[in-house]
Amino acid sequence: MATATNSFEQAGESRLVLNEDWLSLAIGLFIFALAIAGLSGTDFLGWVVNTSVWTSIAAGLHPFSKIYASLGGGGALIATYLALLIILSVGVSFLQADVRRFAIAFTAVFAIAYASWIAGSYAHLAAVTPAEQQKFGIKWSAGLTNEGGYVVALLAGLVIANFFPRFAEWIKEAVRPELYIKIAIVILGGFLAVTFASRLSLAGSLVFRGIAAIVEAYLIYWAVVYFIARKYFGFSREWAAPLASGISICGVSAAIATGGAIRSRPSVPVLVSSLVVIFAVVEVLILPWVAAAFLSHEPLVAGAWMGLAVKTDGAAVAAGGISEALILAQNAAEGVRYQPGWILGTTAAVKVFIDIFIGVWSFLLAYIWTNHINVTRDKARAVEIWHRFPKFIIGFVLTFLIGLYFAIGTSPETVKAVTPLIGEANVFRVIFFVLTFFSIGVLSNFRKLWAEGFGRLAAVYFVSLFGFVIWVGLLISWIFFSGVKPPLAS
Amino acid sequence: MSKTELQKELQQSHAEPLLPVEKKLIGWSLGTGIVLLVILAAVNRLYPI
Repeated sequence: MATATNSFEQAGESRLVLNEDWLSLAIGLFIFALAIAGLSGTDFLGWVVNTSVWTSIAAGLHPFSKIYASLGGGGALIATYLALLIILSVGVSFLQADVRRFAIAFTAVFAIAYASWIAGSYAHLAAVTPAEQQKFGIKWSAGLTNEGGYVVALLAGLVIANFFPRFAEWIKEAVRPELYIKIAIVILGGFLAVTFASRLSLAGSLVFRGIAAIVEAYLIYWAVVYFIARKYFGFSREWAAPLASGISICGVSAAIATGGAIRSRPSVPVLVSSLVVIFAVVEVLILPWVAAAFLSHEPLVAGAWMGLAVKTDGAAVAAGGISEALILAQNAAEGVRYQPGWILGTTAAVKVFIDIFIGVWSFLLAYIWTNHINVTRDKARAVEIWHRFPKFIIGFVLTFLIGLYFAIGTSPETVKAVTPLIGEANVFRVIFFVLTFFSIGVLSNFRKLWAEGFGRLAAVYFVSLFGFVIWVGLLISWIFFSGVKPPLAS
Repeated sequence: MSKTELQKELQQSHAEPLLPVEKKLIGWSLGTGIVLLVILAAVNRLYPI
């Protein structure tokens, strides 16, 4: 999460303290590097658990690589849990978290989140085409694809947050949606590179369209939401600026970066952030289905729309993933099989492009605020651009470039070898997505929010989001992405 | 200031009038944004993928 603090700090005499941003970069790169190291001939990550659509749970779980088949599904699940427990426990020790409490809480979080993912892969929920139904010997299915497991995880989190608040409090040490999604996005870079390598011209055009997303989020959305909050809802500048950034840019991290930039009290963006998460949940539960219903023949419009309309990186990329699953399934049922990864990739690209400029925008606001609004000695400094730059994007770009190098700059044999290795890393990406969904759910206590009297803040958010942001996002996505189709699967 | 106090303040806060610099920020932001989007949309149409 981009914050006003320095990214690295020295605690006491010698202990190195990271923030979640740097930590996600380190863990994401570590997993990606282990996957690529498989080119040496040793498969380091093939034991990771993978879940297929199932009617018998024993057949649903299995290690990703056949080399580790002897582990069985249960063994792969335990190995995956232990590996994540160790990596994340070591990681959070650098955040000065209580490692023992984290480990206990993470065990519960992983168990519930992955159980949700397994439940989402049940054939009656996940099977899509009549052929799949026939394969599993079932007569009906909800057709959610196995990515419906994300929604199951989100609902599980919501149930815990709203009906078992004490349990939610007990596991909060491991409820870290920002950390999980940033690790996932770092890993996602490599996967997208391999996907995009098949149509580089189309991938290049995404960059151009990314500029439109930046313009829309920062220059159009922000200005309108700030104006609405100030003029019609009577918010002070201190509240209106983080609120405008939260609704317009990328949710939690933008609200916190803006709060730091305008020198607001630290609790202001934190309160705004809790609202951002709640609305992101509502969007994730609605927009992917709306996109699938109305945009199934414009898959990239749907992907871009999720990136522009859904706030917080986690919810947006996850909404892109659900939209992709639903839209690919719908097209597959009509006999059109698009290559997976393009809709999700479009959402992620739009989101990453928007994230890149948080630092620059925050600096601009800091300059205006400290020189013209609350004139202080604590003037904005250019180095703040770097401080507020979301560092996990460096990881995303690195894995993307490395993946691209392997996909287009090496021999066909290497490409053939590296593709399943990046697939292994991608299984971890899926697990981090599931953890993100569950965590977002656990943070969304609707009753508490209502009781805390956020009515007026929520009203601005509601009016801006559903009255403006979603529809302008759809319009811009349509202008720039309509008619652009993903490649067909070979 | 505690979270509860902030919430109280949020419910009771009074409107601050928009300063000229805020109006300028909103105006320039929107104006530049719309012009840039029109240019990008035109380029997108003239040079399709």
